[in-house]
Amino acid sequence: MKTWLGTAWVLVWKDLVQEWRSRDVLTSMFAFAVLSLFIFNYALELSPIDRAEIAPGLIWVVMVFAGTLGLNRSFAAEQDQGSFEGLMMAVPELSVIYLAKMITNLMMMFGLAILVIPIYSLLYNQSLFDLRFFGILMLGAWGYSAAGTLISSMTVQTRMRDLLLPVLLFPLLLPVNMAVVKSGSAIIAASSVPEFQSWINLLLVYDVIMTVVSIMVFEYVIRE
Amino acid sequence: MGLVQKVFYFHMSAAWVGMLAFLMAAVFGILYLVHKDLKWDRLLASSVEIGLLFTVICILSGMIWARPIWNTWWTWDPRLTTVTIMAFTYIAFILLRRSMDEPSKRAQFSAIYAIIGFVTVPLTFFSARLLRTIHPVIFGSGEVDMNLNQPMLTTMFISLGAFTVMYVALLLQRARLMQAEDDLMQLRMHTEIDADWEDQADA
Repeated sequence: MKTWLGTAWVLVWKDLVQEWRSRDVLTSMFAFAVLSLFIFNYALELSPIDRAEIAPGLIWVVMVFAGTLGLNRSFAAEQDQGSFEGLMMAVPELSVIYLAKMITNLMMMFGLAILVIPIYSLLYNQSLFDLRFFGILMLGAWGYSAAGTLISSMTVQTRMRDLLLPVLLFPLLLPVNMAVVKSGSAIIAASSVPEFQSWINLLLVYDVIMTVVSIMVFEYVIRE
Repeated sequence: MGLVQKVFYFHMSAAWVGMLAFLMAAVFGILYLVHKDLKWDRLLASSVEIGLLFTVICILSGMIWARPIWNTWWTWDPRLTTVTIMAFTYIAFILLRRSMDEPSKRAQFSAIYAIIGFVTVPLTFFSARLLRTIHPVIFGSGEVDMNLNQPMLTTMFISLGAFTVMYVALLLQRARLMQAEDDLMQLRMHTEIDADWEDQADA
């Protein structure tokens, strides 16, 4: 167990250092996210009251779309360098690779949220600094990374590659999307949604199930 | 409701086959991962194709019913949402298969996607149900929403049975057709190799 988590942490650290040196992925995700916020501003010219209602949905949609850029790149380094076989031999168990990549993707979403929330608050003149809201975003990002990492490990091996990722991933994400948007707008608009607790439970259930199932099947994805 | 009520027998049976096909795809997926026999992969792929067909029939027939009864073609009801997401999962599934050539790898990915897809369907349904519903609840609801009298129930069960038999028949036929396609491919490859040999012998 210790080596399992220890190895995962080494792999996460490797990916983060690699990303920190180039900053390719996070920069692209961030630029894409901010540009989307600009586009949404012209598409939806809203009164301040309506804005409070849709802010969480907007943030989450922007994160989901920008996130696909990161997911598509999550196995790219190994694919480009042809170092995946080496990686497979270096780990005690193949599922460690999945866990590490998932945590890396989750951290990318974390970084993206930290960058996007202040910019949204600035551009739309509405404070989104709320720890509970941030917590919900991160629960959503966990489910998103759990499903997304598995799907992207499959799509990099297909002919259509990044074209296929959103098509395969988005049908699986509906529960996460609904839960994040509904519970998020309940917090930001300070209105009471009766099923608030149910949404959080649903998110947790989704996250845990998706992570466990992915860990179980991941070895079939990469083994010949 | 008049004549439009008759849509119900096809609509519900198509929905049932759509769900059943999804369940069976996941079951065949597990069987493939355990046994590594391409037979299960062919059944899985057949089940997905049939499932997509019946899910589309279900959605379209539902729309025909909803227009006069709900006065709209579409509403964001849990069941409508779930079934449509299921249809999108089926489409994604077929796209995934089409972009892969190597049979055993394709079978593995199909199996995994079928399992993951099946796991999320109940969660999708539950999440959509947390919002309110206007879809008639036929079974398992306390309120008497839509009373079915005896002839209606009989018709419904006959229809359900007939559609299930049709599903099994289509499944077996489609899987057999796939087997034939695979065999043909094998034969082609062999004859090409033989032809190459003969060319080399002649030269």
